[in-house]
Amino acid sequence: MRSRSAGAALAIPAWAWLLVFFVAPVAMVIWFSFGYKPGVFGTHSNDILSLDRYAEALSPTFFATFQNTLWVGLIGTALCFLIGAPVAYWMAFKVAPHRRGILIALVLVPFWTNFLVRTIGWQVILAPEGWMSGLLQGIGILDGPLEILYTRTAVIIGVVYNYLPLMVLPLFVAFDRVGPALREASKDLGAGKLATFFRVTLPLSRPGVIAGVLLVFIPLMGDYITATVLGGARGNMVGQLVASQFQTAQNWALGSAMAVVLMLVIMLTIAVAAAVIWVVTLPFRSSNRLVLGPEETKTDADTPAPAEVMS
Amino acid sequence: MNESRTPLRILAPEGSAPTILRELSRRRFLSIAALTGGAAVLAACTPGGGGSPAPQATGGALENSLSIYTWGDYDSPEVVAAFTSELGPRITLDSYSSNEELIAKLIAARGTSGFDIVVPTGVFVPQMIENGLLTKFNKDLLPNLSNIDPAYLGRAWDPTNDYSVCKAWGTTGFVYDKTLITRELTTWGDFFDAAQNEASGKTSMSDDPAGVVGAYFWAEDMDWNTEDPDDLEACRAFLVDEIAPHISAFDSYPGTNSIPQGTQMLMQAWNGDARLGILEASDPDRWQWVLPGPITELWMDNWAIAEGAPNPEAAHAFINFSMTPENLALNLDYIGYNVGGKDMEQAAIDEGLELTDLIFFTPEQLATMREQELNDSQTVRVEIWNEMKVAAGA
Amino acid sequence: MTQTQTETILRAREEPGRGAKPPRGPRKSWSDIAFNVWGVLVMLFLFAPIIVIVIYSFNTGRLLVSWDGFGFDAFLTILEKPAIQNAVRVSLITAVFAAIIATALGTLAGIAMARHPGKWVWWFLSLLLLVSVTPEIVDAVALLPWFVLLGQDLGIGMFNDGYVRLSVGSSLFATAVVSYIVRARLVGQDANLEEASADLYAKPITTFRRITLALAMPAVLAGFLLAFTLSLDNTIVAAFVQVSGTTPWPVYVLSAVRSGLRPEIAAVSTIMLLLTLLALALVAFVLRRAGDSATQIARTMTGG
Repeated sequence: MRSRSAGAALAIPAWAWLLVFFVAPVAMVIWFSFGYKPGVFGTHSNDILSLDRYAEALSPTFFATFQNTLWVGLIGTALCFLIGAPVAYWMAFKVAPHRRGILIALVLVPFWTNFLVRTIGWQVILAPEGWMSGLLQGIGILDGPLEILYTRTAVIIGVVYNYLPLMVLPLFVAFDRVGPALREASKDLGAGKLATFFRVTLPLSRPGVIAGVLLVFIPLMGDYITATVLGGARGNMVGQLVASQFQTAQNWALGSAMAVVLMLVIMLTIAVAAAVIWVVTLPFRSSNRLVLGPEETKTDADTPAPAEVMS
Repeated sequence: MNESRTPLRILAPEGSAPTILRELSRRRFLSIAALTGGAAVLAACTPGGGGSPAPQATGGALENSLSIYTWGDYDSPEVVAAFTSELGPRITLDSYSSNEELIAKLIAARGTSGFDIVVPTGVFVPQMIENGLLTKFNKDLLPNLSNIDPAYLGRAWDPTNDYSVCKAWGTTGFVYDKTLITRELTTWGDFFDAAQNEASGKTSMSDDPAGVVGAYFWAEDMDWNTEDPDDLEACRAFLVDEIAPHISAFDSYPGTNSIPQGTQMLMQAWNGDARLGILEASDPDRWQWVLPGPITELWMDNWAIAEGAPNPEAAHAFINFSMTPENLALNLDYIGYNVGGKDMEQAAIDEGLELTDLIFFTPEQLATMREQELNDSQTVRVEIWNEMKVAAGA
Repeated sequence: MTQTQTETILRAREEPGRGAKPPRGPRKSWSDIAFNVWGVLVMLFLFAPIIVIVIYSFNTGRLLVSWDGFGFDAFLTILEKPAIQNAVRVSLITAVFAAIIATALGTLAGIAMARHPGKWVWWFLSLLLLVSVTPEIVDAVALLPWFVLLGQDLGIGMFNDGYVRLSVGSSLFATAVVSYIVRARLVGQDANLEEASADLYAKPITTFRRITLALAMPAVLAGFLLAFTLSLDNTIVAAFVQVSGTTPWPVYVLSAVRSGLRPEIAAVSTIMLLLTLLALALVAFVLRRAGDSATQIARTMTGG
């Protein structure tokens, strides 16, 4: 249809931009991954093509690090959702309309400070000999100094902190789209708050939920600086392996191979998670099928298709 | 600053004496000398290219601007401002955070990066020369080279100082909490021993394969640039299996956070970084710095001029300017590392600089310091370092 | 009772100026209070390290993390360091450019995906996914030689300019983010209003401007803010593609770690925070004073 293709043309500038500035350079990096490191002082060379770098990339070190990263990624994303969804809900439904804009901006304001500076702020807060440690010891919550720094907990705190806005904002936009009408209708029909949320609000805002989860999980898997600053050795993430090949080892071929493997594994994880969720919610979907309209009357002219409302 | 210099005698008409006295500061004299010397060279040189790459600067007039690509906050603002006010060129400072980033930039730019002065660490200088990333100095424009202590000239990466000259140098040692580790630690062997015992779980090592892998070889008094696979395998077995589980963090700058905040018990650190941390800690007496035996490292950041530098005259002038005794002292005070100048220790102590034993070392100590060499074992070292991180994070 | 509630709410919305406070309706339930508390707690969590940094910007010591005494030294030192001033300026300018580019491209793409779906959407989503999945270091080492190729070998002089390079580099991930958000906002929302508009003889461009764009506006604004935020913190790509004279702020900070972070870094962060809060307050003030129509616009923008 003419209008459809004309409308689709709206995406052409984005296509072009990304193709020129992203796909082309990344294709170059994938090209690098088939090369090798030519001696001590070279960074990459593609005279001889091989898959050897991929064999090197799929080493036990890589997988062990990836396991750790995946653990942090899943827990971090889940926590971001659990912490961020109520905030997004609050901003979308509980806060007066004229305050929402300010709140959106306030959620983002901390992130206009450089990330290393924010992380150092956390270091100061979590310092075992710092004021918060002293305060907690004084109150009696802690027996000894605060021992969170350089543990997995610190990694999670840092990671959740850095990605919370990326979860809150898409969720807010999606919840907001649901609007008060359907929710009120649900309450009018007798559903309680929780039922309304799980059967009306959440399903209708599903694209936003997916956007939020992806926008948090994916960059989180590639992130590593905050994790190492706050978590020390416990914050060893696979992004650091990739970066170390490009920087310290100056072995762009191996770095490229590792990067490609990392990207493939992330996409695989998402596919697996999507499949798992699809399978898990299968019984819920089939049992929630609500058929409206008369089924027994059939006319010759028109068979009114039973309207199906699925949650 | 020593006052024992032979006075300069000038024969001039009486009327112009006050002018000469007013205008003739040492720096002015040097730049004028450079100009006249350069003019003479220009007059003498024939057009047509030479065979070997000649230095670009010939002592002509200084350009209007100068672009320095260096580590962040690595020059005293007073020196930078004084250069502009006395000699003219406006300075643009840009920063990088790793040598490899610098090299990647220069290689990709192929001579059009727009940077004049770069500050690589010595171990990378051979690579940069090989890849044609640096131009030779015109030593005539750098008379202040004579202010640099000869012990810091002619290092392994550039024995003739044709491409680089010392800007600042340092070494690697460790710091420990005296109140918690009560015995005295003096060698790298002691470091590893304490890491496995008292300081287990509260030890940090450098976030850098050179320092981490090097520590093993320094403890064993072996050549730390070895490419012998058996040596490297022994190193891997020791570090990954026995040391890594006791390491809680890989941090190259413990002075900026771990020491002042007291988060670790035993930390591998550079001397300047450790000094900063101890000075800024609330209880400096708690910390003990050790220059460990039997051997350790010497690393050096160098002034160098990039290939294709648009302002070579100004570049030489700035490097020369930074090597005057006053400016050497200013930089020493600002960055807290030894800047390689002659006879600076006494003056520094007189000025009240604290913990000078973490900056100035005796010739005996200097003899225990070895330079790094970049070779084919780098890949294995990075592997060992990555494996240590996995083992430590488990 | 529900009808009264709805009526009350509608009336309260239509007449904001009526009386000192609009009628509050029934007492707040426990869940409302819980939500308020949670929201405030999370805001505190988000601002906690920032407050610490603001406090430490008054540190007169040599190291940022080591408190020495209270004073304004750090702020004064900023005036002596043009490198810091330049870095902040470069970061702000490129963040604005990158955000504008990302928002424009992302909004159009999001609208196209939501309103004019087709087979191509799968390809485009895969491209966006690829952009998100790529580690920043890969982007960085890929873009640098690419820019050199475009700028030097092909002679397109624009790509030798630091601002252009930084803006382009920062806009990639941001475009993907904005596209996702705008699409999430519009998808599933029936195209009734657009159809109605077309039925009323509005030209496609008018429909686009006054209906589609207006519907998507909260997402567009949220996307712009997010794109600005992401670009401001872009470190690795920026470090690789920068040229002489355009060192962005995060690159400066990371490279200053080697010499020990000084309180000036915190001071700059405090100043930026103050300026941001001032700008927000100004916007809020202007909108409130500009009268009803502007308040209506603000409400539409925030989805009220």
